[in-house]
Amino acid sequence: MRAEKRLAPLLSLLLPGLGQIVQGQQSRGLGLLATVAVLGGLVLWQKAPLLFVPLAALWLWGVWDAIQSARNRSSGTVAPFLLAAFIVYALGIRATEIHPERLVSGWPSIRPIVQALVRPELMEYPKESHIGHLPFQVPCITPLPPPQGQASEQPRLTTDVPCAALGETVTLEGEGFLPGLDVEIWWQNPIGDYQRVLEEGVPLVVPADDEGRFRITIRVPPTSVPLDRRPGPGETQTHRIEARQYRPYGSLQPTETLRLVIEKIGETIALAFIATVLATIFALPVSFLAARNLMGGHPVGRAVYYIVRTILNIVRSIETLMWAIIFAVWVGLGPFDGMLALLLHSIAALGKLYSEAIEGIDPGPVEAVRATGANWTQTVVYAVLPQFMPSFLAFTLYRWDINLRMSTVIGLVSNTGLGFLIIQWIRLSRYNAMATAIIAIVLVVALLDYVSAALRERIIAGSPGGPKRGILRRYGVPAVATVLFLTLFIWSWGVAEVDLPALVEGAPAGLRITRAFLFPDLLTRPTVESRVTAPLVVPCGAAPALTAPPAEGPRVALSLSCGAPGDPLVITGEGLPANTDVSVRWRLPDGSFLRIKKNCCRTDGAGNLRLETQVHPLMEAKEGTAGEVEISWKQVIGGYQPSEALVTTVNLSLVTLLMALLATTLGSIIAIPLSFLGASNVMGRGPVGRAVYFAARTVFNLWRSVEPMILAVICASWVGLGPFAGVLALALNNIPNLAKLFSEAIEEIDPGPVEAVTATGANSLQVLVYAILPQLVPRFLAYILYQWDINIRMSTVIGFVGGGGIGQQFRVWVGLNQYAAAGTATWAIVAMVWGMDYVSARARARLI
Amino acid sequence: MLEVQHLTKIFPNGTVALRDVSFTVAEGEFLAVIGLSGSGKSTLLRCINRLIEPTSGRVIWNGVDITAASPRELRRIRRHIGMIFQQFNLVRRSSVLTNVLSGRLGYVNPWMSLLHYFPSEDHQRAVAALERVGIADKIHSRADQLSGGQQQRVGIARALMQEPQLILADEPVASLDPVLAHSILQYLEQLNREAGITVICSLHFLDLVHRYATRVIGLKDGMLVFEGQPKELTRERFKEVYGEEAEMVTVGGGMERG
Repeated sequence: MRAEKRLAPLLSLLLPGLGQIVQGQQSRGLGLLATVAVLGGLVLWQKAPLLFVPLAALWLWGVWDAIQSARNRSSGTVAPFLLAAFIVYALGIRATEIHPERLVSGWPSIRPIVQALVRPELMEYPKESHIGHLPFQVPCITPLPPPQGQASEQPRLTTDVPCAALGETVTLEGEGFLPGLDVEIWWQNPIGDYQRVLEEGVPLVVPADDEGRFRITIRVPPTSVPLDRRPGPGETQTHRIEARQYRPYGSLQPTETLRLVIEKIGETIALAFIATVLATIFALPVSFLAARNLMGGHPVGRAVYYIVRTILNIVRSIETLMWAIIFAVWVGLGPFDGMLALLLHSIAALGKLYSEAIEGIDPGPVEAVRATGANWTQTVVYAVLPQFMPSFLAFTLYRWDINLRMSTVIGLVSNTGLGFLIIQWIRLSRYNAMATAIIAIVLVVALLDYVSAALRERIIAGSPGGPKRGILRRYGVPAVATVLFLTLFIWSWGVAEVDLPALVEGAPAGLRITRAFLFPDLLTRPTVESRVTAPLVVPCGAAPALTAPPAEGPRVALSLSCGAPGDPLVITGEGLPANTDVSVRWRLPDGSFLRIKKNCCRTDGAGNLRLETQVHPLMEAKEGTAGEVEISWKQVIGGYQPSEALVTTVNLSLVTLLMALLATTLGSIIAIPLSFLGASNVMGRGPVGRAVYFAARTVFNLWRSVEPMILAVICASWVGLGPFAGVLALALNNIPNLAKLFSEAIEEIDPGPVEAVTATGANSLQVLVYAILPQLVPRFLAYILYQWDINIRMSTVIGFVGGGGIGQQFRVWVGLNQYAAAGTATWAIVAMVWGMDYVSARARARLI
Repeated sequence: MLEVQHLTKIFPNGTVALRDVSFTVAEGEFLAVIGLSGSGKSTLLRCINRLIEPTSGRVIWNGVDITAASPRELRRIRRHIGMIFQQFNLVRRSSVLTNVLSGRLGYVNPWMSLLHYFPSEDHQRAVAALERVGIADKIHSRADQLSGGQQQRVGIARALMQEPQLILADEPVASLDPVLAHSILQYLEQLNREAGITVICSLHFLDLVHRYATRVIGLKDGMLVFEGQPKELTRERFKEVYGEEAEMVTVGGGMERG
C-alpha cells in the first residue's frame, strides 16, 4: 500500500474529502467537503446542535469511504445522500415552522370556508323587510333624559325598562309583525354600527306568533360601544334596538355578491387586456435591441444587447405581485398599480420571447427576397414578417394567458379586481361571498386555459389562408375586428383607471424607491450616539437648574437659562465634530423629545452650530422638573459589517429556499400515488378505469386553476401566518400540477422493456424495479426540479398574503418606507431565481 | 420439443390474430416464421411464453403445458426462454450492464435483486455474454448511447444470461440495416449450432430465411399456410403467403441464396 492510501482515512478524519482528494478522486472529495461545510453552516445558522450527530456521521462516512477506496472498493453514494437529505429536511422543518398539529387545531377556522365553497352566493329571492325599532338608553342615570330618535309605530317594540347597563337583560316585546315569520334582533350603537344580538354566541332569532307578537329576553351587548366612546360619569347614550323580518318575494335574482364578482371579472379581464396590448407595443422595439442577430455586428450594438438582456432578466425575475407593491408606492393602490405591474413584467417577458423569435428568423428567405430586387419594406413584409408572426402571436397569446391568471390575484396586493374581493370578504368572514369569488377565478382560469389551448392549436396549425373573396370578407371582417378591439381597449383603459398624471406626481416617490433599489442596504458601520444638553427652565424659577454645561469638549450653550414660552432663544453648539449632521431637540419635562427644526442641522468646519428659535410652550416645567435642549449626533466606530437588513434577508432567503423544497417534496409525495389514477395506460379500458381516469384528470385541471396566492390566503387562516402556511399553499398547488405531469410521464412509459423483462421470468416487483422505475424516475425528478424552480419564484411572493418567507418581510419593509432594505430583499430574490434557474436547467438537461 | 396445438387468439376488440395454429419444433431447430405485418407472427411468439394469453389451444414444451402453468411456474419456464425484440426493448436510461443482468432476474433472490444486488458469478457471466457479442467495452455505457446494432447485441446478451434452451426472436433485424442484420443472425445461428439452442425467429426477407433457417412456417391472417424446408419456399409458395402483389426483395445486395 502506498503512503497516501494508508494516510487517506486519517486525512479524511482531519478534513472531510481530503483523503479522497489525495487518492485522486478530486470531485468526490471536493463535493464531500462542500456538503459538510454547507450543512455545517446551516446547522449553526439554525442553532440545532442535535443535527451535528448526522453531520458527524457524514464526516465518518468520508473516513470509511477513504478506507474503501484505498482497498479499491466503491462504497456508493446512497448513505451520504440520505444523511445529507435528513439534515436538510430537519433544518427545513425547523426553519419553516412546520407544525402539523395546527392542521387539526386550525380546522375550526377553516371549516366554514370549506363549507362555503360548496355554497357560493349566486342567486337569491329579493326580500321585503319589515323592521321595528326602539331607542334605548345605556346606562341608566337619574334623571333620565328623553331618548334621541323616535320608536316605530307599526310594527311596535316595547321594553320593560327604558334603560339598562351594558350586559344587563331586558325583556323585549313586539307587535304588528308578520305572523309566523322569524324575527332577527339587531343592536345599533350610538356611533351607528349594527350588530346581531347574540345568545350564547349564536345570533338570536325568535318567531312571531299568529298575531304577529313576540316576547323575548335579550342581553344588552357588552361590547356594543368601544371603550373610548363610552359615556363619561353621569352621562347616557341612546342606542337603538331593531327587530327585523325578511320576507322573500318574486323570482330568483343574482345576489349583490354575484353582481360584484361579475363586475370584477370584467375589471380583471380589462387589466389583463390592456397590460398585454401595451406590453406588446413596448416589447417590440425592446426586442430588436435584445436580438443578437440584429445587434451583434458592432461593439456598441453588442454592448446594448447585453445591457438590454440583463435588464430584461432582472425585471423578469421579480414577480408581478412584487412589482405591484413597488408601484403602489409610486401611484398608490388600485387598478392602475396592478396594470403597471402586469405591464412591466410582461414587457420584460415578451421582450425576451420576441427577441428569441427574431433570432430564429432564417436569413435564407430574406436573402432570396432581396435577390429578386425587393426593397427594404418589401423584404420585411414578404420574408421577415411571415417567419416572425406565428411566434409573435403564440407568445402574445401565451402572455395574455399568464396576465389573466395574474390579474385575478394581483388584487390581493393592489386592492383591485377579484383578489381584492377575496381579501375583503375573508376579513369580514363573509365566506360564502368569498367562495363565490374563488369559484369565479377557478372558472375564468379553467375556461381561459381551454380557449387559449384551442386558439394556440389553430395558430400553430394555421394555413396561410386562401384568396379572400368578396368585399365583406376582405374588408368587413377586419373592420369589425378593429372596431371591437378599439372598443375593448377604450373600455379597458377606463376600467384600469390609467392615470398618467399619477405617474408624474408620484415620480419623487418612484425615484426614491428606485434609488434605494439601486443602492440596497448591505453594509453598515456601527455607530455610537453622543449628546450634550443644557437645561432651560420655563418659566423662570419653576425648577432648579440641574446641570451646568461643561467648560471643555462638546457643549451646548443657550442665550437664556430660563424664560417664558415664545421667548427668542439662540442655541449654540461648540466643540462638536466638524461637518456632521446633528439632531437638535427639546427634551420636554415629561421625558419625551421634540425636534426643534426640520431638516436640521449640520455643524460647520470648526464644529460649531448656531440655531435661532423660540421657547416651545410644551417646555413649561412640570412638578419641579425642567426641560433641556439636547444636541445629539452619531459617530462611526469600527469597520463595515453586514447590515441588519442583509442579515435578515440572507436568513429569510434560506427559509424561502427551504419552503420551496419542503413544498415540492410534500407535493410530490402526495402527487405520485394520485398520478396513477390519471394515467390512461394504468387505469385500463374498462368502464370503471375510464371513469376514474376522467375524474382524476378533471380534478387535476380544476384544482390547478386555484392560484397558489389564494391557497395561501386560505392556509394562513388555517394554520396561522408564517412559512408553514406558505409551504402548505405551495404544496396544495403542486399536487395537481405534479400529478398531471407525472400522469403524462406514466402514459409515456415504453412498454417494450416491460415486455422484455417480463419475458426473462422476472416477477412483477422486479419488472417495476428494472423496467418501469428506470423510465419514470428521471422524468419525475426533472418535473420535481422544474416545480421547485417555480416554487422558489412563488415563495418569494406568497408571503404578501401571510405565507412567510422573504416576501412577507419585503412587504413589511416597503410598508415602513425602508426601501433600501426592501432593495436588499429584491436583489436576494433576483439572485435566488437566477441561481435556481441555472441549477435546475443544468440538472434537467442531465436527467433527460 | 415444442408443440403448439390448436392455438387461437382473439383480442378483446374482436381481432382474430391466430386461428387454430398447430406445429411442432424439434430440439435444435432454427425455425423461421414468415408472413405479412399483422399476420400474427408477433402474437404467435408471445403466446409461446404467454406474454399474450392465448384464447384457446395449448403450448407444450418438453412435456410441460405452458398454457396451464401457474404464475410461479410460468416464471420458471420463462427464465429458460430468451426473447429478442425488433425494437430491442432495452431500458434506455439504464446501463448496458444493468440491462444484461436483468436477464438473470428469474434466477436470483428476488429481494436482493430489488436492491440491484447480483452475485459476482452473474457479473462474470454478463461480461462473458457481452464478450461473446463483441461489445464488452460498452459495459458501463447508457443503453441509449449505443447504435441500433449494438443495442440488439445487448438484447442477445440479455437473452444469453437466461441460459436459454429456446430463443424467441421477434423480427430481430427489421430495425437494422442489411449488414447488421446478417451479423445479428449469425450470432443466433452460432448459438443454434454450437450451443444447440432452439431458435424461433420471425423474419421478413426471403433471402435471410434461406440463409439461416432450418425450417419455415408461414402465417397469413392468423392461419398456418406453409410449413416446410426453406428450399421448398419457392416464389410461388412465397406469393401464397404474401399475396399476389408481393415482390421478393433481397437484403444486403446480392446476398440472396435461394
